[in-house]
Amino acid sequence: MRNKTLGFEIIRGAASILLALAVAMVFIFIISDEPFTALYNLIVAPLTNMRYIWMILERMIPIIFTGLGVCVMFSANQFNLAGEGTLYIGAFVSALCAIYFDLPPVLHVIVCILAAVVVGGLSMLIPAILKTKLGASEMVSSLMLNYILLQLGLYFLNYHFSDRTQGATMTFQFKPTAQIPKFLPNLIGRTNLSWGIVIALAATVVIALFMYRTKWGYAIRMIGVNESFAKYSGIKVGAMVVLCQVLGGVLSGMGGAVEMLGYFERFKWRQLPGYGWNGVTIAILAKNNPAFVPLAAFFMAYLERGCNLMQINSDVPAEMLSIIQAVIFLFFAAEQFLAKYRHKLVVKGAKEELAERTSGHGKKGAET
Amino acid sequence: MVVQMKGITKVYPNGIAANQNVDFSVRKGEIHALMGENGAGKSTLMKMLFGLEQPEEGEIIVGGETVALSSPTVAISKGVGMVHQHFMLVPSLTVAENIVLGMEPKKRGMFLDYGKAVAITEEYSQKYNLHVDPHAKVMDIPVGMKQKVEILKALVRGATILILDEPTAVLTTQETTELFKELIHFKETGHTIIFISHKLKEVKQITDRLTIMRGGKSVGVYNTADVSEQDISRLMVGRDVVLKVEKEKPVPTDVVLKVEDLSFTNDWSRKMLDGVSFTVRKGEILGVAGVEGNGQRELVELLFDMAKPDGGTIQVEGQPITGAGQSKIRGLGVSHIPEDRMLFGVAGTATIEENLISDRYWKPKFNKGPLFDMKAIHQDTQQLIGDYQILCKSGGQSVANLSGGNIQKVVVAREFSSDPKLIIADQPTRGIDVGATEFIRRKLVELSRAGTAVLLVSADLNEIIELSDSLIVFYGGEIVAYFEDTSTLTDEEMGEYMLGLKRQSDEEIRRVFHA
Repeated sequence: MRNKTLGFEIIRGAASILLALAVAMVFIFIISDEPFTALYNLIVAPLTNMRYIWMILERMIPIIFTGLGVCVMFSANQFNLAGEGTLYIGAFVSALCAIYFDLPPVLHVIVCILAAVVVGGLSMLIPAILKTKLGASEMVSSLMLNYILLQLGLYFLNYHFSDRTQGATMTFQFKPTAQIPKFLPNLIGRTNLSWGIVIALAATVVIALFMYRTKWGYAIRMIGVNESFAKYSGIKVGAMVVLCQVLGGVLSGMGGAVEMLGYFERFKWRQLPGYGWNGVTIAILAKNNPAFVPLAAFFMAYLERGCNLMQINSDVPAEMLSIIQAVIFLFFAAEQFLAKYRHKLVVKGAKEELAERTSGHGKKGAET
Repeated sequence: MVVQMKGITKVYPNGIAANQNVDFSVRKGEIHALMGENGAGKSTLMKMLFGLEQPEEGEIIVGGETVALSSPTVAISKGVGMVHQHFMLVPSLTVAENIVLGMEPKKRGMFLDYGKAVAITEEYSQKYNLHVDPHAKVMDIPVGMKQKVEILKALVRGATILILDEPTAVLTTQETTELFKELIHFKETGHTIIFISHKLKEVKQITDRLTIMRGGKSVGVYNTADVSEQDISRLMVGRDVVLKVEKEKPVPTDVVLKVEDLSFTNDWSRKMLDGVSFTVRKGEILGVAGVEGNGQRELVELLFDMAKPDGGTIQVEGQPITGAGQSKIRGLGVSHIPEDRMLFGVAGTATIEENLISDRYWKPKFNKGPLFDMKAIHQDTQQLIGDYQILCKSGGQSVANLSGGNIQKVVVAREFSSDPKLIIADQPTRGIDVGATEFIRRKLVELSRAGTAVLLVSADLNEIIELSDSLIVFYGGEIVAYFEDTSTLTDEEMGEYMLGLKRQSDEEIRRVFHA
């Protein structure tokens, strides 16, 4: 039964992706004078060149972290959307540590990441505690929190930490000791891909284990399945609701730090980078299962690369990305999509099972 | 034959084949029982006859014509009416308004002609001898009258074939007797009645023929007079079921649960509990009887800290537990079988294993460092599945795919295996099959004789008299009777206390409080 349902989910996922691409194709044929060039660049080109692959991997780093964070929070039915703001503030704090602390190489990176983790986690305490103590919707308060964190970061950036010698608003340069080194440049050549990808994949393993192999992950998931049941069983629902959101903040804060130290040399974000929103899409694609997050993140980054290439090499704008994403999202979220087909599968399975059971019964009867 | 269903097959989205090639037919003017354990497919079959569900295969013939019952509206137009187990009435409207709902007589084209609605209600009420107060609001009338309103609703819409889904489940003994008189009257006026039940006595008493279902299939059709209660029960479960529970005399010792002067007012400012005091001792089963809505549910909620009392104390082995939280209460050795098993008892889409460890997942036994010890968990799960005879393929199967009886066994397996000092069992066998019921009752007696204190709340009179060593009766939020020994107690005697016709003296009631 379980395997069949999983199989069905994969078919359903593939069908929504194909449908989304079909919709994109319709638009491309309408607006483009060179639709085949555009399509080639969108779908095939990102996989034709190793450099593009490294770029895809590099774009996966921050969204793996936010995706994991959202998975943990959504698993307990906490629709917290502050991944965006906590990633931003985490990146900012890690940047400050990277500029103003003097520490040996590896340790410096660790301290910067830890600072981001603490700030990300503490920020998430706000919507979490408002929820458990006052019953305020975490969705509303976390959305507002995003802008508070952005403005807070901007204030400190503008008035206290900006490098006045530069033309635009940005911080001073990070110390080299705080920068995450590039990933095997001798082997794959000069790319922007840092060791951050390894940190992201390690985080995936840890979070997958946490959710399915520890008592805390178990408690968080049970709250998501049936909160009344969790409470009745003696699970401390309030504490777990706070824990999962803090963990969400920790992960996106970490994502901000890893992205900042692995990709940039100065902090210059003047708006929210959008990785938090991508995290929500990824969690939905991965059905809240951390193990599927890298796969979903790869797909998102691949689409983004394809759209960029399409914009460069043809007359279709990269905004097509939003349309494709929206359609995939729609079909994934729609419970009823392919429900009839699913019911047919179910009917077939049930009949087989019944046949099996009756024959089993017959045998038992013969024995007694 | 007024109704014929041929070769009906129905599969639900969760993959359960509720009906498999079922044939079912009813003669005009008979009372026909549809019997079977829970999960046998009775309700599903009737839902298809009433147009609530559509079969995957098969044919339905009503009054000689093949019909496609795509909705209840179509079914009603063919003369089929259904009274559900859970009433579908609007509590804030009056009886007359409920009866004409959806087919209101109009005044000046748009306003409800209330006078006419009352007239219609009275006309049918007289004609069928179903006495209701047309002006009363549905929320203020007793359960028995709500059922009459439901029946009238069907009759007013022209139903000649009435499906009654476990109509006596919510009624007292007296109300049941009255309902049976009414049913006989319908029969005499040419109506056909399909009576869904798993109460053997009632079926023997009132029906002409019966169809028995088992595991989604029809086992056979019989003349009620030709089969004995034992025959029926054998056909229903496929083996003999001992309906009596064997138990030794109780030897109650120390007080485990002590409830003193407990009061509770609900959110609608209604006093649901008023000065309730009692104790439950080691080794005894204390039953709590009463018509539903007389404070039993509130009592259980308070005992498990799901609500806050106005006043009074609750102690488990001398420790006060009000406001302590469920984890602390469980830590004191309290187990609880909740009334609503799908809401509280299980996490439906989670696996059997995940459901079995929900009260103990944190224990050192199941953890190795920060990680779960999966081997220990699997072992424990296998042990419980075996001990409690949970029918499943593996512990990884989702609980929602099990039958009602097996879901309840999952709850019971968890609650009974935690070495409890006190078990609060709220409707432990409601709506589950005979096999699982018997199993759960036997386990409950076993545990109590091994020294566990058991508080049993049940709306099933047979169950409560059969299982309890001693018994208290709730009426209007108070204890109105205490029976130290249930072995000589009759249904009728209980009924009088449950309906508030009688009340013991305060001294007699006070005996249940062992200080």
